[in-house]
Amino acid sequence: MAEGFRQWRCRNCGFIYDEAAGWPDEGIAPGTRFEDIDDDWYCPDCGTEKQDFELVE
Amino acid sequence: MALPVELAQTIIDPKAYSQRELVDEAFRQIRATAPLDKAELDGFEPFWVVTRHADIKDIERQPDIFHNGDKSTFLTNIEGNARVQMLTGGEPNLIRSLVSVDGKEHKDLRGIVFPHITPRAIKPLEEQIRAIAREFVDHMLSFDGQCDFAADVAFLYPLRVIMTVLGVPQEDEPFMLKLTQELFNNADPELNRARAELSPEDMLKSLWETTMELENYFAAVTKKFRENPTSHINSLIANAKIDGEYLNHRQMMGYYIIAATAGHDTTSNTTAGAMWALAEKPEMLARMKADPSLINAFVEESIRWEVPVKHFMRSAVADCEIGGQQIKAGDWLMLSYQSANRDESVWADPFEFRIDRESNPQIAFGYGVHVCLGQHLARMEMRILWEELFKRLESVELAGKGERTISNFVCGPKHVPIRFTAN
Repeated sequence: MAEGFRQWRCRNCGFIYDEAAGWPDEGIAPGTRFEDIDDDWYCPDCGTEKQDFELVE
Repeated sequence: MALPVELAQTIIDPKAYSQRELVDEAFRQIRATAPLDKAELDGFEPFWVVTRHADIKDIERQPDIFHNGDKSTFLTNIEGNARVQMLTGGEPNLIRSLVSVDGKEHKDLRGIVFPHITPRAIKPLEEQIRAIAREFVDHMLSFDGQCDFAADVAFLYPLRVIMTVLGVPQEDEPFMLKLTQELFNNADPELNRARAELSPEDMLKSLWETTMELENYFAAVTKKFRENPTSHINSLIANAKIDGEYLNHRQMMGYYIIAATAGHDTTSNTTAGAMWALAEKPEMLARMKADPSLINAFVEESIRWEVPVKHFMRSAVADCEIGGQQIKAGDWLMLSYQSANRDESVWADPFEFRIDRESNPQIAFGYGVHVCLGQHLARMEMRILWEELFKRLESVELAGKGERTISNFVCGPKHVPIRFTAN
């Protein structure tokens, strides 16, 4: 797996989007960068919009 | 070591919740001395009391370890649990709803409504909800300067919104309100089914009767929406299939019931609590009239403040460590959202109602996969009500003593007498 993958957390419910794992449930392949996900994507657990995710430091 | 019995008794006492300061003080002491410890009380299976914001989030993000549905989802004594199992044929909850199922069943059920209630999906409802809000603002102002905001507005507006979204006719709203209040205020003689003080045994009997009355009502709803499907949420529930099969009876009834009851009662409690807070600090009204963008902060703070769902229970299915304590498989845990929303490590002044907080990570809606399904609708309808009301409200103050319901589960103000002037 390439280096430098990051994780993004939904501020509302804590769902983690892990770039290394992607989100295959919705066709987002492993390795997909958060910024490459469509802007209209929303949190699979609570519906919060992509812009309200924060980078996990 | 277990929690001091007096503190443990206070945080489960429905009457204590009607004087919220008592419960807030008990939790303040618990957070300071034993923030995650066991309550050992006569008649109850021992349970952990989880009071810190971080610990609740930690538990709710691990739904594979902490189950909702293996034991009762809200605090019940040993005798009550046994009776529920007898009535349901072995299940721990009277109602099999989204809050009392786990894993694939939860994901499948949640997925039926979830895509239809995201922020984007509900945006087209904004104007329809605004029209309802205007109607209730007119209704409030018709009281000529004084009303009980809880009974006259806060109980009714969220009810109309959710029934519109569900597809329930307006003439059925009084029925739905009455049964919702019976369900959630079973310990309160003013609102329960018998309108009387009840023994624990009679409370359960009364809850069962209310549940059966709701099931009778919703049986006709299924028939109606299978014959004529619409985009209403009740129609989605009636027609949904999981693995090619309609929902079973308990899943379907549980879904209808939680949507129709929790869907408005929690918002009603928050709305009433927000007005109570505003009437105590009326200077906030002038600030929001001058800068309506503060209304979002007012809504979020009112959710933190009122925290209408006081607790949910979880049961551990594996040994693990939370907050420095060793939790064993089979342990039962009470997640206190009221305590978490007063956590001094998150809010500098948690006992103050403030609309100027830089961040407000309240967890009244829960956290993780079980986070409230209707949270975005709840926020939207409250924002719209305040936007419409504050345009016309000039002043407000308390006109008497507010009263809270007697309940340790889903509860809030039942009377908020106010005096007001309009533009």
